[in-house]
Amino acid sequence: MYGGSTNLNVEDFFDDNTILVQRTLRSGQSISYDGNIVIVGDVNPGAEVIAGGSVIVIGALRGMVHAGASGDANAVVIAFKLLPTQLRIVDHITRAPDDVENLLDEMVPEIASLKNGVVTIERWEVR
Amino acid sequence: MSKVIVVTSGKGGVGKTTTTANVGAGLAALGHKVVLVDADIGLRNLDVVLGLENRIVYDIVDVTSGHCRLRQAIIKDKRLPGLHLLPAAQTKDKTAVSPEQMQELCGELKKEYEYVIIDCPAGIERGFKNAIAGAERAIVVTTPEVSAVRDADRIIGLLESSGLSSPELIINRLRINMVKAGDMMSIDDILEILAIDLLGVVPDDDEVVISTNKGEPVVLNEKSLSGKAYRNISRRIKGEKVPFLNLESEGGFLNALRRIIGLK
Ligand SMILES: Nc1ncnc2c1ncn2[C@@H]1O[C@H](COP(=O)(O)OP(=O)(O)OP(=O)(O)O)[C@@H](O)[C@H]1O
Ligand SMILES: [Mg+2]
Repeated sequence: MYGGSTNLNVEDFFDDNTILVQRTLRSGQSISYDGNIVIVGDVNPGAEVIAGGSVIVIGALRGMVHAGASGDANAVVIAFKLLPTQLRIVDHITRAPDDVENLLDEMVPEIASLKNGVVTIERWEVR
Repeated sequence: MSKVIVVTSGKGGVGKTTTTANVGAGLAALGHKVVLVDADIGLRNLDVVLGLENRIVYDIVDVTSGHCRLRQAIIKDKRLPGLHLLPAAQTKDKTAVSPEQMQELCGELKKEYEYVIIDCPAGIERGFKNAIAGAERAIVVTTPEVSAVRDADRIIGLLESSGLSSPELIINRLRINMVKAGDMMSIDDILEILAIDLLGVVPDDDEVVISTNKGEPVVLNEKSLSGKAYRNISRRIKGEKVPFLNLESEGGFLNALRRIIGLK
């Protein structure tokens, strides 16, 4: 589900249990952490990120991302270019629409969260 | 200055051997002393592309296993005095050589040659590990296809974690008409994902196939566009700044390619 915008604060999601990854994850590379993950770089197609908590990508997210992998339904995924091959929050799965190309070409930060059991993607307004 | 260069790709058939032969011949034509190492043991090709197959007596496995001395196995090219080839073995497999042996071999070769260029086999297994073991610099070849780019990305990740931290990219077989029609990934699309330095773009060109079949690297063909692309790449490898080719075959000086790669 796409649409709307939100201005939730980063601090609402990212507590002390957060790791920082300062590189691009390329195809075949994966990161998993039972906490939050902040990536400064891209997540390319074929790479995967699995977090117990939330994930923020300061770059393009084109690979597979799983937030809330240990059951946290409040987990979110934020990316400056959110084009994941597949995005999961807890056990709810969503994938990129098949016509991704015309969808988003600019860098618009977006946030994916669970709302009433549906993965919802909104523009993320930085406060 | 790094002299031992591996040419790799991940995906098969995208043009590693063609690139190795042409860049090697290109650098030799510029007056450098070059040796090409065919690391594709069991699927020997480079000798054929260079038209040197009938001169092979010893091969890389004979060298590493001590059956002959390094010098005995190296073949001189028939056209370019600076160009040499260390052929692969055809009757062995990738495990016939170890990464340590490759390191030692590259160490020996770089004492004698200005450039040591290694033709890597497809894949990410033993043959790949052998080919990169002694390398100081890496060239990644891809075609403008999603699967090839994906594999190139995988390879770049593996190169980076092996200490070859800034591989350079060659985009091979670009068809500008297809890019324009939106039917092929553009240079921009590829660079956006791979985010490494572009060494050059080679058009899809029948001349490559013709010259490969004749055993004459297309880089020596003054008239072909792909030859020009390889000559430019050879100069960029030396560190020269060479403007990018306009790969539009018709329509004069319209810089379709320059526009795509953001130079215009
Ligand atoms: N720019 C080009 N235009 C047209 N044909 C090309 C071009 N580059 C390569 N080819 C053709 O593509 C085929 C594969 O090329 P090549 O053998 O160099 O690939 P490779 O990556 O070494 O393959 P392998 O993974 O099997 O070792 C060859 O037939 C070659 O002639
Ligand atoms: Mg080959």
